[in-house]
Amino acid sequence: MKIKIWGARGSVPSPGPETTRYGGNTSCVQLTLSDGTIVALDAGTGIRGMGLALPHEGTRVNILLTHLHLDHIQGLMFFAPAFRPNSEMVIWGPESPEASLQDRIARYISAPLSPVEMRELPCDVSFRDAPHVEWRIGPATVRAASVTHRGPTLGYRITDGDTSLCYIPDHEPGLGVQLAEDDPDWISGFELARGASLLFHDCQYSDQEYPHHVGWGHSRLSDALAFARRTEPERLMLFHHDPLHTDDFLDAFHGTAIAHWGDLGGRPAQIELASERRELELELPRPAPAK
Amino acid sequence: MANGQRPLELILARNFLTSLSTPGFLVDGEGLLVFYNEAAGAMLGVSFEEAGSMGPDEWGTAFGPFDEHGEQVPFERLPLTIALRQGRPAHSRFTIQSVKGAQHEIEASALPVQATAGTSGAMVFFWPLESS
Repeated sequence: MKIKIWGARGSVPSPGPETTRYGGNTSCVQLTLSDGTIVALDAGTGIRGMGLALPHEGTRVNILLTHLHLDHIQGLMFFAPAFRPNSEMVIWGPESPEASLQDRIARYISAPLSPVEMRELPCDVSFRDAPHVEWRIGPATVRAASVTHRGPTLGYRITDGDTSLCYIPDHEPGLGVQLAEDDPDWISGFELARGASLLFHDCQYSDQEYPHHVGWGHSRLSDALAFARRTEPERLMLFHHDPLHTDDFLDAFHGTAIAHWGDLGGRPAQIELASERRELELELPRPAPAK
Repeated sequence: MANGQRPLELILARNFLTSLSTPGFLVDGEGLLVFYNEAAGAMLGVSFEEAGSMGPDEWGTAFGPFDEHGEQVPFERLPLTIALRQGRPAHSRFTIQSVKGAQHEIEASALPVQATAGTSGAMVFFWPLESS
């Protein structure tokens, strides 16, 4: 499974000279599965760059939306394959008793917010509620689960062969919970993240900022690390950076995270702050050479 | 011990109960009592951590409840049972007895916990009447 981060920012795009290294685009991560199947995790403004980088002919993309806050769908209207008649998009997202996924997304892709209407998109687009049971996309199995955020919100786990990626970009599992002590079955997102090869997790706030944002649906650093410590992914990618966090701030934040992670018994190499255009590949551990 | 991920709405319901001073119980979709808060523990004379999870046959009789004639209220008439089995709110007035023998006349209001995947449990709140 190949991974490319096209947007790591939370809440609102934050372009400018102070965010050039970590990037200012909002949530979007591209997965290229082992058979070449393309999956986009969220459609924040980062998906615009992803769309421009995809082949022009016969693109088929599955887009897994965690929720419909604007920073996770804003790029949809600027996703190049949406405007190509030979492209196919399958958009998955959380169900809601209020309206269908298509109708809820159409509130954005319609007047007066948009110059085009959903029905005018020339591509083949379909909308599907994320099932309550595991399903397949290409060679991968995909699992979705509701997680603690504001409004219907999912986390995803994508397993391709023996590697798995868990993506929970907007998540406040520490709300009302002692993450270090409570039983795992009472921790939002636990089963989804447990033992993943790579966990993308919300880390929008520092511990100093969090008291002013309790209940907003995002994690402070210590809760993101405590969640990872309990769920034991092989690697942790801290994600959904606050728009006020500059490159210099995030560099220092990374140092703080490594120190705190070390206090919890983790290794520095396991932890990283997501940055735009970062590419990774998850693969099976190489067998030890014969002696 | 973990026995599988709880539905999010149950996790949030537990968090909600934890922060209330109103006594409350939470049962899962199978009727297992999976949590009650500190206020309920104070009324019952035993904390949830001490009492642990209970099946319906146990929580339905562990603390009474008794009607105005001192008779045990049948399990199927308890508000929590109605909320879970019939998927609707229910309300009742009865007396419960703590493990230390103290009796409390209460009103109980129960409601099902439902999400898009269906009913995953029920909550009941107890309103002590001693001071009213």
